[in-house]
Parts: sequence; C-alpha cells; structure tokens
Amino acid sequence: MSEVREKLLNIALVGNPNCGKSTIFNQLTGLRQKTGNFPGITVEVKEGRMQLPSGRQVMLTDLPGTYSLYPTSSDEKIVASVLTNPKDAHYPNVVVYVADATHLEKHLLLLTQLLDLGLPVMMALNMSDTADEIGIKVNASVLADRLGIPVVAISGRTGANIQKLIGEIEKLFDTPTLPEKHFYPLQEVEKQVAEAVCLNFNLANAYQALLIAHHHEWLPFLSEQNQETIRAIVQDKGLASLRFQVDETLDRYDRFTPIVQEAVQRPPQFPSTPTDRIDAVATHRWWGPLLFFFVMLLVFQAIYDWSTVPMDLIEQFFADLNVWLTSILPSHWSTDLITDGILAGLSGILVFIPQIAILFLLITVLEEIGYMARVVFIFDKTMRRFGMNGRSVVSLISGGACAVPAIMSSRTIGNWKERLITTMVTPFISCSARLPVYAVLVGLAVPDKRVFWIFSWQSLTFGSMYALGVVAAFASGYLMKKVLHTRESSYLAIELPVYRMPHWRNLWLTVWEKVGAFVIGAGKIILIISMVLWALARFGPGDAMAQATLKAQQDAQTQQLNKTEAADLQAAYHLEASYAGYLGKVIEPAIRPLGYDWKIGIALIASFAAREVFVGTMSTIYSIGSSEDDFVLREKMKTARFEDSGTPVYTLATALSLLVFYALAMQCMSTIAVVKRETGSWKWALLQFSYMSLLAYLCAWLVYNVFA
Amino acid sequence: MQRRYRTIPDLKVHESAHALAFEDPALAGKLTAMGLLPGTLIEMVRAAPFGNAYYIKADGVRLALREEEASSILIDV
Repeated sequence: MSEVREKLLNIALVGNPNCGKSTIFNQLTGLRQKTGNFPGITVEVKEGRMQLPSGRQVMLTDLPGTYSLYPTSSDEKIVASVLTNPKDAHYPNVVVYVADATHLEKHLLLLTQLLDLGLPVMMALNMSDTADEIGIKVNASVLADRLGIPVVAISGRTGANIQKLIGEIEKLFDTPTLPEKHFYPLQEVEKQVAEAVCLNFNLANAYQALLIAHHHEWLPFLSEQNQETIRAIVQDKGLASLRFQVDETLDRYDRFTPIVQEAVQRPPQFPSTPTDRIDAVATHRWWGPLLFFFVMLLVFQAIYDWSTVPMDLIEQFFADLNVWLTSILPSHWSTDLITDGILAGLSGILVFIPQIAILFLLITVLEEIGYMARVVFIFDKTMRRFGMNGRSVVSLISGGACAVPAIMSSRTIGNWKERLITTMVTPFISCSARLPVYAVLVGLAVPDKRVFWIFSWQSLTFGSMYALGVVAAFASGYLMKKVLHTRESSYLAIELPVYRMPHWRNLWLTVWEKVGAFVIGAGKIILIISMVLWALARFGPGDAMAQATLKAQQDAQTQQLNKTEAADLQAAYHLEASYAGYLGKVIEPAIRPLGYDWKIGIALIASFAAREVFVGTMSTIYSIGSSEDDFVLREKMKTARFEDSGTPVYTLATALSLLVFYALAMQCMSTIAVVKRETGSWKWALLQFSYMSLLAYLCAWLVYNVFA
Repeated sequence: MQRRYRTIPDLKVHESAHALAFEDPALAGKLTAMGLLPGTLIEMVRAAPFGNAYYIKADGVRLALREEEASSILIDV
C-alpha cells in the first residue's frame, strides 16, 4: 500500500481546521503553488512543489481541514476520499500531520485515524511559540515515543524549525516506516465488515476497509457495483454507521488522552485571554452587529480611497504608451490592432488591479484573524430565514471579490439545500469585475455633488448597486427556500478560533495568487474578445466598408466638415457598416426599451463571456478611428448620441438602467462553469443564468422607464 | 418532581456544567470529533445577538451552537 513510487512523490498536509496548516503550506512552497480556485483548473485542493535537502522535488498537497475521517461537509469528504484510495492522484507517500500545540487534546483524534490507516505519518507540532507564551509545555519526545512517529515542534508564523521539519520529511521518504501503533481495536461487527470488504476488494488494511464501508454511499472512486456489494455487506452484518462512528471516536479519546496528559503540562487555570475580551465586543448583542457594519463600511471605503493614486498612475501609463506607440509604429492596420484593439482592451481592465487587490487583501485579513467565524455565529439566524446557513455569510462576503472562490467556499455547508441556495444567490453580490463597469457608468452619468456633508451622489449610487445585489440575493434565497424541500438536517456547530494577527506571508501570497489568477484568467478572455471585436469593427460584409467610406466623403463635402470632423464621421460610418455594427443592430430592438443603442448592444454581447469586458469593449468601440485622442473613455461616451433622435445616449436613465443590468445579470462564464461543477449538473447553472438574465432585463427596463 | 438533567440553553451566562449525553446521533458524531464529549465541562458565554444560537466554551474550546443543537446536549444539574 505504501510502496514508494519514484516518480510522483506526494506529501499531504492533514490537520483540523484552524491548526495553521495553510501557513505551513505557504512556508514550505512559497510561490511555487497553484490553486484550485480559478476557472480552468479543476484541482479541488491546493498543491505546490517543494525541494528536499537532497535536491529531490516533491509535490505538497494541502488537504482541507477536518476534525475526523467521518466528514459532515463536502470539503471534509475530500480528505476521507483521498486517504482511503491509494489510486488517487493526491494519495500521499508521506503525511505531515499538523497539530495545534495549544489544544493538543483536541487535535489527536484525526492523527490516530491516520495511524490506523497505516500511512507513514509525522507530526508538525505547530504554534509551539504561542504555547510557550501562555505557559503550556509540550514534551515532544514523550509524544514521539508514545505515538511512535517523528514529532517536530515548529512555528508556522515565525518559521522556527521549518528546516528541521523538512529534514524529517526527507528521512521519512528515505525510510518510509509504517506506524507500529494502532489505536482503535475494531468491534466484532466492524471486524466482520472490514474482513468482508478486504476480501472483496483485495485490501490489506482493516481500518481502510471499515472507512470505505461507512462511506460507501458517496465515495467517488466506488463504482455502482462496488457500492452494491458493500451495501449488502453492511446490511448483512448490521453496521449501524452513526452509532459505531461515535463509539469509535469516544474510544480513541480514551486511548490518546493519557498520552496528552503525560506529554503536556498546562497552567492550572485559563486566564482571561484577549480573544475573550475581543469577543465581549465582537459578539455582543448591540456592538457585534454594529461592528460588522462598521467593518464592511471600512472595507468599501478602503477600496475606493486607497486605490485612486495607483489607478491614476496605471491609466496615465497606458495613455502615454498608446501615444508613444502610435508615434513610432508605421501607419498600418497592425498598429491599429495593437493600439485600438489590444491596448484599449487591456488598459480597461488592468486599471482595476489596485481595487481588486485591496478587496482580496481585506477579505483575507478578516478570514485570517478569525473574525469570519464570529460573523457566521451572529448572522446564522438571519441567513436561515433566507434559506441559508450562517456559513453562507463567508460566501456572500467573498462574493464581493469574486463569485468563483466564493461558491467553492460554500463546500463547508453540510446541508444540500442551504449550500445550493448559497451557490445560486452568491453571483448577485457585486463582485470586483462589476467595479470597472460601475466606475465608468457612475462617473459618466451621476453628478459629483455632495449630499449630507460626507457622501457624494456618486458614492451613494455605488453603494446602492451593492445594496441591490444584496437585496436580490436575499430575496432569491427566500424564494428558493419556499420552493425547495429537503428533510436533511442542517447544522451550525462551528468552532470560533482564537484571534490571531494575520500573517503577512499568507496575505501576500493570497493576494498575489488571486490577482494573478484574475489578470491571467480574465486577461486572456479580455484579450481575445477585444481582438475579435476590433476585427469585427474594422471589417464589414462585402463592400459595405468601401461604400461607407464613399458616403462619408460625400457627406463631409456637403456638410463642409474640417479634417478631424471628416475622420470622425468616417469612423462612425465604418463602425455602423462593420460586422460589429451589424450584430449590434440585430439586437438593438431587444435592448432599445432599456435605453441602449447598438454600440452598447455590442458590449452586452461581449459581456456574456465576462462582464468586465464591458469597459474594454467600450474603449475599443469608441477608440476606433481617432486613436490619437486621449484614452479616457468617459469623455467619449459623454458625446455619444442616438442616431435617429440625436439625443444623448448616456443620460442618467440609460446609465442607471445599465448599472442595474450589470448588477443583476449573470455575465460570467467562469461562474457558470463552477456552478455546474459544484452542483453536479447543468440544470442549476442554466436555471441560474436564465433567472438572473431575466431579472436583470426586467429591472433595467423598470429603472429606465422610471428615470426617462 | 425534579428533572434529572438539563440542556445547554438552561445555563445562565458564565454558568458551567458537564455534558452527559447527546440526543441527536448525527450531531454527536460531529461534536465528539470537535472535542465536546460526555464529561466535558461546558460554560455558557453568551447568546447570539439575534438569538437562536449560543456561544459556549467546551473545555476551553469556543463553539457556536444553534438552539436546536444546544438543546440536544444533556448536561448535569
């Protein structure tokens, strides 16, 4: 079972939630990690390369935190299904078990299960420095002796003893000693079941067989026939799963508690800790909710305030780059492609990196310090009213950054209905990709005047877009709660971890990874779409473009236009005659009731791939023809007029209607893909898409007609 | 006649008692794995701001439980 495969050596990090696993993972892998959090990559766990002292490269996998191999949610199920299946791509050659030295008595249950599985394990005794500070003494050598495995006391935060840990990992690779100790002696019924499963599936380890028997209903690597076989065994022997699981857990405690008592010396009394004092406020009846809204306000304030300077710099950089490129490159269609197509599309989105980075940074800080668990506790009741679980708050708040990782974070919700509703409504929360769209439209149509001393109309409009998303999410949740029915029980039961200072390395890596994923993932789509759009706008069917040129020249003559005006007129005629213009005109009748012209139609079509494409598309459309102008999109959009009536396109009504449309519509291929994957069927993904699009259309129509 | 047991919601703030047994077997699996066992000393810290949930300490570990969850855990008098 644990023969060392020479090519693909895997190490798995396993441990309880809040044991500091990710910090250690980051210490060991640094930037050589990839994430399963972004479209295209369907890995469900984080993995990263690391080098051992001998120079050997190994793959480190960070499995989700779990208390036991008897999972209650789908992220915990990943751990059990990887560790019971030697054929799994992530099945470890060596397991590094991370335990919290300050709560060792709660952290050994899972370890004893790993030992009984016969996996080569070693223990990283994390937070040893914190344990020292609060007067807890852990004798690592006693632990190592009683558990029969190597134990290294480390600190993931300071990096103390990490090298020693790596050395021990190498040793375990060289001589993969299987654990000698076994903790849980199977009861008679369990023994019979395990023997039968072992015999049927040719397994050597009885505990592995028992776990497979307990989990046969959902283990992904079992075929239907396998499940049938095991079901028959379980029924025949009378393995009442729940009762045996609890008995096993209690028996394990009885066996390892004496070891903890021998190895750990703790001060006689827990002093009142900072966590208690913070929670006296953070979970207080009045102060708790108040603090939450204050924190959220602070987050949004930070996004807009801190980002202005870097955003101006990036915008200026692209404007300069464009001018410079136009001046040095020959006048040729390929130059147009670079400046009008690629550069216009890219600058439209890269400008928003500062805001996205700040948003991800602050959400990560809230998670890292342990505040999110308190929010779950405070709002569980509220969320349940809307068909969700307290844990859904984490998804909804993360949805403010990006719906894709947010939907994946709903895996911690055990109840199917609550998780489904969370998945379905999370995309209503205004994500960072909507920021660019809001920024352009609000700046365009809403006056920059102050009201009530501190607020401006612009920031209020921004705020109401976010509020609209939240209202839509909760209303839809309520609706789904009434429609869907399940008998499955739902649990809160969540640990409120000790508050910790955020670790700069974790923060930096998370922000780096998310922003990188955004730039590369979204960048690719945007780049392709802006090139396609440029081509669609540059070329037209048959001799339409040539005729447009001719017509423009004639009209310019009759109207006696000067050179620039003539060029702009020609550009306008060209766009209208192009393939893009043709497409836009086809859908114009459908979107005219919302106040949009065919140019916006082009952007809408493009936005169904990813909504952030809107800004790039508009930049491309409006820069066609007069690329020597400055790059600022808003100025160009302000002068746009309807061709038939000659009234300005971007009135307050149109802008608000567009805002509402972008706030509510499902315009993100990545989200559709992740919803399909997480719900396991196209049904929910398509239902969500249709529902959101329809709602967006109706609300946009309503808003346009109210303000027009 | 006096009851022989209470459940967690009967605890006053800062009052402690030992857990005796669980009435919900599925929840029992989850709670025992998290370290709340029969015999564990449980302290009531506070109720949730909007109600329906409790903040407790089980042997120093901070947990949040819903009303139904808390009332399925029997404690001594």
